[in-house]
Amino acid sequence: MTSFLQATAYGLLQGGLLALVAVGFSLVWGVMNVINVAQGAFVVLGAYVGWEMHEWIGLDPFLGMFVSAAALFVLGYAVQRFLINLVVNGPIFITLLLTFGLDLLLVQGMNIVFSADYRGIRTSYASNSLTLGSIRVPVGRLLAFALAVAVTLLLVAFVNRTRTGISIMATGMDRGAARLMGIRARHVYALTYAIAAALAGMAGAMIGTVGTFNPSAAGGFTLMSFVVAVLGGLGNMYGALVGGLVIGLVEAWSGQYLPGTWVYALAFLVLIVVLVVRPTGLVGRAYYTGRQDV
Amino acid sequence: MAGCGSKGEATSPSSASSGTMMIGASVSLTGVLAREGGLTQEGYKLCQDKVNAGGGVDIGGTKTKIDIQYQDDTSKPDVAAQLVDQFNDKGVKLILSSYGSANTEAQAAVIERNGQVMADSAGSDDKIFQKGYTRTFAVLSPATVYAASMISAISELATPKPKTVVFLSADDGFSKTVTEGGMKAAKDQGYTVLPPQYFPNGTSDVSSALTKVKGEHPDVIIGSVHLVEGVAIVKQAQELGVTPLGFGETVAPPTPDFTKTLGAQAENVLGSSQWTTATVGQDAYFGSAKDYAADIQATYGHVADYHNAEASAACLALVLAAQKAGSTQPDQVRNALAALDTESFFGRIKFNSVGQNVYKPMSVIQIQHGKSMTVWPKDAAQAQMIWPATTQ
Repeated sequence: MTSFLQATAYGLLQGGLLALVAVGFSLVWGVMNVINVAQGAFVVLGAYVGWEMHEWIGLDPFLGMFVSAAALFVLGYAVQRFLINLVVNGPIFITLLLTFGLDLLLVQGMNIVFSADYRGIRTSYASNSLTLGSIRVPVGRLLAFALAVAVTLLLVAFVNRTRTGISIMATGMDRGAARLMGIRARHVYALTYAIAAALAGMAGAMIGTVGTFNPSAAGGFTLMSFVVAVLGGLGNMYGALVGGLVIGLVEAWSGQYLPGTWVYALAFLVLIVVLVVRPTGLVGRAYYTGRQDV
Repeated sequence: MAGCGSKGEATSPSSASSGTMMIGASVSLTGVLAREGGLTQEGYKLCQDKVNAGGGVDIGGTKTKIDIQYQDDTSKPDVAAQLVDQFNDKGVKLILSSYGSANTEAQAAVIERNGQVMADSAGSDDKIFQKGYTRTFAVLSPATVYAASMISAISELATPKPKTVVFLSADDGFSKTVTEGGMKAAKDQGYTVLPPQYFPNGTSDVSSALTKVKGEHPDVIIGSVHLVEGVAIVKQAQELGVTPLGFGETVAPPTPDFTKTLGAQAENVLGSSQWTTATVGQDAYFGSAKDYAADIQATYGHVADYHNAEASAACLALVLAAQKAGSTQPDQVRNALAALDTESFFGRIKFNSVGQNVYKPMSVIQIQHGKSMTVWPKDAAQAQMIWPATTQ
């Protein structure tokens, strides 16, 4: 029983981290119908910014993540405004190819600038654990989990309660109608992409705090973002959180009771089953499939 | 895009008559093995610099400079194999291997088909050498002795002697072979060996494996891993309160990134290493192991890593074989490699009938005060092994 509870606790925390990685990916796909293959590269870039802040001025990664977020926000806004917006009216494969190219550029750029050395942001507390009975709860992962939940709630509040957020949702539902209402779609798209990149930057700082990273880790983060976003479903800001937690638990439980090499196969099996039973994902909204792109 | 196959009909520019000995090297400069691939390339480059600094290698009375051509295999075995074909199409018959057993295994089959010759710097999986290949020669010790060397070191040096050991292993071929060799050695030396736990190669989450073994309270945890999994074992063991008497890991601890990433958590972790600065032996090009370490530091500004050393040693073997053969023709170099028996900064280089260097011992290192210190074998030890070696 202790093993089950420990695996469950760890799976939830790991799921929170996955959710944080994927929430921006889900947002961009849901709102703009852009599959952002560069998501993983943004996460790793955020980790490098957090690492540099820690190395240069000793900034704690839980503060450094705001620097990561700011840097990635600016980069994300520029990328969408001056690059992706040029082809955003094209088929989804065009934007897919564009972000794929962007991913290659960023990963190779990081290889050149930072080298392929593995890095991690060392803190005195991240690997320490709280003990709840016989269960250990790692502090670093707990904080990352709390951040994932907080980010999701703030995102929900932002898109539902602010004028800018409602503009984002409106543009995602029907770009033409949104334009007729006076919404500047290009700016809204750039803002959406910038927010997603900023969230990826924060996730990167957390990844760097509880694990290791180098440029080649980007592909894995993109793949996991894809799985989490599809599983959770698009069009609902809670989708990434739900998807992340489910994947985290599936990996933890399958790793506990089945051969450890089966975890990825089980995670993808769950994805397939969910999509067969519920094509919009666990909490996705079907109306997004009927979006109007004008 | 890499070529689809080799015509095998080009004339050989590896001939010394042109005044240059051409060598092809497919290296992993991007992708998941970029870190190790970069270190491998550094080792190859240093070899070229050292050999050419003296005017080149004496081949049949002519001083011949070596020229290593590099191609990035993006850490993918199929690309690494295709690049060997491309080199063959250009007439480059002498090859230095890529990084890792998977890449090297893919290359070895092509090398055999094309009649090329490969000095293998980093493919140690015994399975590569069980396929009847006759043209691939590995300067490094076989995979089966990676973990076995740590078991032997613990048996010899640890007090109190631990009783139970468990292996946590990545699921790639190399790591599995390491685990099999280590488990056999542990059983032979009287340990109770718990069932091994496997996880996907390259994962940064080994929590399930640790949770499974936590209740068994193993005295020793051996990780058959690469750097990412190795770091994860130490980090997540602390998170989960898994506290054996000691950790041992292959590949990861001797890599400088291990200590840089883990800091104090890396203290006292044991690791197996193909080479250390305490390795006995020297040669005309690199001098001793200490000389080699100084050259790496001066040239690249970092502490010498065994991935550097094994790459330079593979290049050295190829150079010495060509020198001995008095030719750069692949068949003659191949025969000279098969007969090679020399001391070097990397230790003894000599190959058995299938092309493995089983004559060079592995070393066991321990991270002590942030530095990688050789603790076994005893005659090359730089420090006493600290035991219990738990990092908690």
